[in-house]
Amino acid sequence: MGNDVFTFLVGGKAGEGVKKAGSVAAHIFSSMGRHIFQMDDYMSLIRGGHNFSVVSTSPRWISSHYMNADLVVNFDKRSCETHMNDVAENSIIVFNSDEQENVEGIGIPLTSEAEKYPMKSLMYGVGAVAILSSTIGFKKDEMNQVIRTQYPRGIEDNISFANNIYEMVKSGCENKFPLEKGYKERKIISGNQSICLGAIAGGLDVYYAYPMTPASTILHFLAKQAENFGLAVVHAESEIAVINMAIGSAFTGAKSMVGTSGGGFALMTEGFSLAGITETPILVILSQRPGPATGVPTYTEQADLSFALSAGHGDFLRIVASPATVDEAYYLASEMLDLVWKFQTPGILLTDKHLSESSMTVNIDIDRAKWAEPKMYSGSDYKRYLDMDDGISPMLFPPSKETIKWNSYEHDQFGITTENAETISFMHDKRNKKVSALIEYLKKKKTVNIIRGENPTNIFAYGSTYMSVVEALNYGKINPTIIQPIYLNPLPVWELEEFKNQDNIVVEQSSTGQFTALLHEKAGLNIKSTIKRYDGRPFDPIDLSIKIKEVL
Amino acid sequence: MEDIKTYAENTWCPGCGNFGIFTAIRDAIPLLEENGIRRENIVITAGIGCHAKIFDYLNLSGIYGLHGRNSSNSEGIKIANPDLKVINFSGDGNGLGEGLAHTMFAAKRNQDMTYILHNNSVYALTTGQFSPLTEKGWKGPSTPKGSFEQPFHAISLMIEAGASFVARSFSGDIKHLTDMIVLATVHDGFSFIEVLQPAISYRKWGEYSKQIEYLDKEPESHLEAIKTAKTKHKFTLGVFYQTQSPVYHKELYGDHNPITNRLSRDIRLDKIRKILGSQ
Repeated sequence: MGNDVFTFLVGGKAGEGVKKAGSVAAHIFSSMGRHIFQMDDYMSLIRGGHNFSVVSTSPRWISSHYMNADLVVNFDKRSCETHMNDVAENSIIVFNSDEQENVEGIGIPLTSEAEKYPMKSLMYGVGAVAILSSTIGFKKDEMNQVIRTQYPRGIEDNISFANNIYEMVKSGCENKFPLEKGYKERKIISGNQSICLGAIAGGLDVYYAYPMTPASTILHFLAKQAENFGLAVVHAESEIAVINMAIGSAFTGAKSMVGTSGGGFALMTEGFSLAGITETPILVILSQRPGPATGVPTYTEQADLSFALSAGHGDFLRIVASPATVDEAYYLASEMLDLVWKFQTPGILLTDKHLSESSMTVNIDIDRAKWAEPKMYSGSDYKRYLDMDDGISPMLFPPSKETIKWNSYEHDQFGITTENAETISFMHDKRNKKVSALIEYLKKKKTVNIIRGENPTNIFAYGSTYMSVVEALNYGKINPTIIQPIYLNPLPVWELEEFKNQDNIVVEQSSTGQFTALLHEKAGLNIKSTIKRYDGRPFDPIDLSIKIKEVL
Repeated sequence: MEDIKTYAENTWCPGCGNFGIFTAIRDAIPLLEENGIRRENIVITAGIGCHAKIFDYLNLSGIYGLHGRNSSNSEGIKIANPDLKVINFSGDGNGLGEGLAHTMFAAKRNQDMTYILHNNSVYALTTGQFSPLTEKGWKGPSTPKGSFEQPFHAISLMIEAGASFVARSFSGDIKHLTDMIVLATVHDGFSFIEVLQPAISYRKWGEYSKQIEYLDKEPESHLEAIKTAKTKHKFTLGVFYQTQSPVYHKELYGDHNPITNRLSRDIRLDKIRKILGSQ
């Protein structure tokens, strides 16, 4: 492991406070002014099974967790067996001696100690925090302060339990990994929270969703914040209802957003196409998980890219963009909301479980958010689909003295159904003008993130995979140019021209290489090789750096 | 938009029952204005089918949606701007076939909208297949030996689902239909009118007019309403059920209006600053 990174891994059954322990660890590190990256791995169940949380921290910006941990705390036997090899050199492993004996590491009777208190196994997480506190050289009173604020239920029991555990691990753990302090305490948020805040900053009024991992936490966060921000947040009966409700809301001028994963988006495609012909501004958050079909609900993949690019029947403009970091998720959510309203067409913010549900210390420039505002019509004799040079018809919303007709049939400029040959092709041309208008607009914007390096080979990645690549290069001390297209449709080919005949490597989480195919077909890039991972797990920086070195 | 008619060419069959619904809407608008509902606040939605052509003919704002999905458009309109009055047109195939779940849920939520079900008991536009309300034995192109499914009973179904105003009317009785539309639109909550309307290529006016009857007394309870709906024959007109119950958008956000009370960018950014700490 890179000597500037410390990693804490905690594992146990669902319901034992594993994720909470990870979050508290992340909080401890950020309070020391350090950066963190937290990845939670959980199964699709409510109680039992095996969950774990990995938190990596560094005084510098860190963009991935490391699977090889310096401190591993296992609540049960299954965790111990699962993470036997997830250890760095000179690491500390703590296991539950009530469940097993004769294994490597420090055994503590976690179960029998916890059973002395009424909350029992709910206290395991507190124990993990105590073990971490000892390891990083936290004094007892510093630890107690954290427990007081982070575990407010049954404070005295929690503190008493934590002190017992702290004493028990003292000989093996105490001050084994003293951590260097950073200079600034930063807030920790998840990718989904960042998307929500960005959308709110951009003008979000209504949000509709049907619960689906890994997008559900968007619904939960917005439902909780609805009153604070004056939003309407609705859990509807299906994704079909969701998108059609959102279109109804957009008709009244409400900035509408929906969120889902691949299966839910499949149901939305009919309505997505409706948004295409009615020229409805609508933003879809599509957070990918492994497919096809139900696939693997709580894990990550990037195999809905081709689907997103062509979702919905018929010819219409779909804007697709993908944020690479938690910070960028904030900016891009507001920017996409602005864009779909500027160009009156549906757009997709494409992300994945790894970005949606991982948490990072952030440094967001809140004021940089865009604000969605449509071009409005003034005057009389309003026509909803008035032909303009850029294809963008000015808008009006009810209540209005004018008649505003949005139509799913092909229609004339007023919005009345047509079967007239001339009008049909005219309206196609009218909508298609928006494509070139959008490209001209994007040419003046940052659409690709390029980090110039010295190595002659370039690495392409989009979405959360960009973060894995950056961390792998950092770890492996390799220095190629990294190119991360933020926009995937339209793909900013004007920015990619210079890389055409160079040595290019793609890193992506799709078994067939969908991103590779896109770069090849749309940008004419010569791709030397693709590094793929498609087992539902995000890349680990150490593994990935080895793979990159092999192909460089 | 003074004229209620647009320039669109009317393609309903001559004598179609849909004309009566158009006329009743035309007559209802001045009555609604008398009740304080301004014409510009009325928004319509339609699905796909013969019923939906009314969207092109009525000079009113709205959404011509997808087959079965327009009641979700209606809900989205109301949720975003509760100042609007939504009149939702649907056929029996649109609303109780493809869109059954959306119709049931709009009723379950007591969404404040008026749902007009054009019941012609057939898929007219797609050449006469049986619909969710078609009687058993219908020989259409998809059921050459006769349909063998039991039809839904729209009135009791909607009462059961949670609609707070449920009535049946007839496109041959413009006066009754106009009154029902006004009552339903003024009503706070999900109001449903099943309108019997012959698709004259498949059914004759006479089949309807000779059987029409009127409810002599409005049922007084939920149970009585369901019982009446099920025992009276399907040509019985009148209000079967009405009650006052909380409407969806008020339960969701009280007297707020997401559009007219939208928070400014500055207020939003300040609140985000609070959430993200003193960055």
